[in-house]
Amino acid sequence: MLATLSLYFFLYEPVRFPRLIRSVCLAFSLKSIVHHILLLCCIAQRKRFVVRFRGLAKLVCGIETDYVTMFELWMAEPAYIVTSDSETTGEEKSSTFSEIAIGIDLGTSQCRVAVWSGSRVELLKNTRNEKIMKSYVTFKGDTSSGVFSQPSLEDEMFSGATIFNMKRLIGRVDTDPVVQACKNLPFLVQTMDIGVRPLIAALVNNMWRSTTPEEVLAIFLVELRAMIENQLKRRIKNVVLTVPVSFSRFQLTRIQRACAMAGLHILRLMPEPTAVALLYAQQQQQNCHENMGSGSEKIALIFNMGAGYCDVAVTATAGGISQIKALAGSTIGGEDLLQNMMRHLFPESENLFQSHEVSEIKRMGLLRVATQDVIHQLSSQSIVQLDVDLGDDVKICKPVHRSELEEANKKVFQKCESLIIQCLKDAKVEVQDLNDVIIVGGCSCIPRVKSLVANICKGKELYKDMNPLEAAVCGAAVEGAVASGINDPLGNLDLLTIQITPLAIGIRADGNKFVPVILKDTAMPARKEVIFTTIHDNQTEALIIVYEGEGEKAEENQLLGYFKITRIPVAPKGIPEINVCMDINAANELRVLAGVGMPGSYKHVIPAMEVRMPSVDDGHGWCAEALNRSHGATLDLVTLLKKA
Amino acid sequence: MRCHGLTVHGTNHRGFCVPTVSPVFLRPTRPVTRIAFPKATLKNEGLTMEFSFYELLGIPESGSLMEIKNAYKQLARKYHPDVSPPGRVEEYTKRFIQVQEAYETLSDPSRRAMYDHDMAKGINFAFNARRRRNYHDQVVEQKTEWKSRWQSQLSELKRRSSSKDGGGNMSWAARMRQQRDELSNESSNDS
Repeated sequence: MLATLSLYFFLYEPVRFPRLIRSVCLAFSLKSIVHHILLLCCIAQRKRFVVRFRGLAKLVCGIETDYVTMFELWMAEPAYIVTSDSETTGEEKSSTFSEIAIGIDLGTSQCRVAVWSGSRVELLKNTRNEKIMKSYVTFKGDTSSGVFSQPSLEDEMFSGATIFNMKRLIGRVDTDPVVQACKNLPFLVQTMDIGVRPLIAALVNNMWRSTTPEEVLAIFLVELRAMIENQLKRRIKNVVLTVPVSFSRFQLTRIQRACAMAGLHILRLMPEPTAVALLYAQQQQQNCHENMGSGSEKIALIFNMGAGYCDVAVTATAGGISQIKALAGSTIGGEDLLQNMMRHLFPESENLFQSHEVSEIKRMGLLRVATQDVIHQLSSQSIVQLDVDLGDDVKICKPVHRSELEEANKKVFQKCESLIIQCLKDAKVEVQDLNDVIIVGGCSCIPRVKSLVANICKGKELYKDMNPLEAAVCGAAVEGAVASGINDPLGNLDLLTIQITPLAIGIRADGNKFVPVILKDTAMPARKEVIFTTIHDNQTEALIIVYEGEGEKAEENQLLGYFKITRIPVAPKGIPEINVCMDINAANELRVLAGVGMPGSYKHVIPAMEVRMPSVDDGHGWCAEALNRSHGATLDLVTLLKKA
Repeated sequence: MRCHGLTVHGTNHRGFCVPTVSPVFLRPTRPVTRIAFPKATLKNEGLTMEFSFYELLGIPESGSLMEIKNAYKQLARKYHPDVSPPGRVEEYTKRFIQVQEAYETLSDPSRRAMYDHDMAKGINFAFNARRRRNYHDQVVEQKTEWKSRWQSQLSELKRRSSSKDGGGNMSWAARMRQQRDELSNESSNDS
């Protein structure tokens, strides 16, 4: 028997051979026959049999060995798979509907994981029994490791080997002010300032080892995945990930790539406040059931400020449907508060931390941790004593008042205010129409943040039935269950979230203008079109450059891709009708279609083009500029004016 | 003004078929009498296109905002990709986009008035481009602007209706409501 098994495995599964031997040795006990059957099933990759036989085996001969886990260990892929480089996430597989997708709130500084456990959302804990996992990765020697077994954040941070704030760096080019602001983090962020991706490196064995935000995220997700699988005792594949509102589609593809590298499939990407909105919808529906209420429409403002991003959403909720009315977001958060405060407390910090010497990195880390502590304490106390020894006789010892924090971050708070006002305006909702004001995220406990939201909402009381730190991940877990097709007998999953586009998507036309085809705050899935025409007589080619954003000028927006329409029939300018259609499907994939029509013709005169976006690769910030330079305005389009 | 999605009743709407469904692309539509633009048809959509927004939402044309919202929510529950059966996501997504469009138009009083007017004139909006594709107007929905657009809309309608056999190919709903709508349009012009 053993020989047969060995032969089988040696022939068919050479990779797993050593593991087999171990397991087979384990199996050779008195109950070996039953074990054999189970083992064989494992080998033959028949999970269903394993599961079925398990009960029988336990009943008949008291076998306790967990063959299901064993089976899964066998089947487990190597920890770090880098899948093909393609952007595609593929069609939604049928397997999507057999397992509950996990909700992950992958924050700039912290991460949480939750899953729908049949009747409610359950937050998963790491091996140290913490619900909160710090989003950072420490590189060690030749291998990299995450944080779950690391004893202390401080020690790691001073070595230069720890990379964090990936969410702020991902998908950004080095001219981006956000990347520039990351340069005084305790690891290497090197920029060329020309619009390419920055170099990010960790100090390992006194050597700067380059990495990418995607890779760091992938390593982190691999650890996360191992932790989840260990707890749920099953393999996971599908996840619902929360993302900041201000992420461009290009950045979303980077997140998708990181997930693909970690062997995860993104079922849905949800802007953080919309996940909170879904949780709110669930709570409202439960209340409604309890009170037998009529379930009238409730409008809520959701303000979410974490370490890296600040997002606002207005949602209208009725009967378990959360309809997002408007979204607004910006790259401001606790990280900005921290950096402004560091500059305030230690003005020379920026000059000091230029060379990235090992000693400086240590100082940077020390100052960071001390400042962070001060900010945390200032939430509950109005004055805190800062006491930090940076070495080399540099000591900072002084009391810090809460008003100093508020003064140093005046602009950040102003930006928060303008985001809320903008969002209310976009949603066409007056403050007095708001039923609830929800404030979540790591910065929600800062008194100034609370007061600014309350001020705008005319002193309306803040919603209390939500844990501000767990709301987003709980919402993501609920969406995971809903989108996985899970039914709840109590109707707790009778929910739906109707998402909208956080940014407008359009093309460059009318000179250097950005002409949206899909407007901001359009419900998804969506399909819209606009007709353009040529600006030159006998123009036979046209360049379609697709952007996403809110800027009026094309170059103020994020480039998503470009393609050329050729063989436009020869005609005077303004005659050909170039029909640009944008389609966002259920999986949130954007396709841009372009066809050419001529007046009087019944169909498109040339084969239409269909291009999946974003099609640009990493950090091609200069791409649009180069296109402009080499083609000038010869391939331009204008929006078609209605003929008088 | 942008050339927007006005098509003459009885013609198919223009647009693209959803590419993942079938490579059959830009198929010319059934014969039409008056056409100003290349046409393509969405697969399996012959029927839904004939529906008015009211019919699509399954509400009477006198339906209140509440009815519109409720109907929309019911249909969203059915057709939204999050809740539709796995095999029919593509088809339901198309339906969802239509329902969404209908809801957006009818839940906005000014756009509903315009839509009602267009219906009365026998002009059927094509389902994909039927919205006034004029983003300036949508961004700045000021009354004055709406009014000016309304005027140009009217002149365009006059031009069109003068060049066709006055109301001959109106939908039944349009014919039935023409009189009432004209009344309401007059009042909205006054405001």
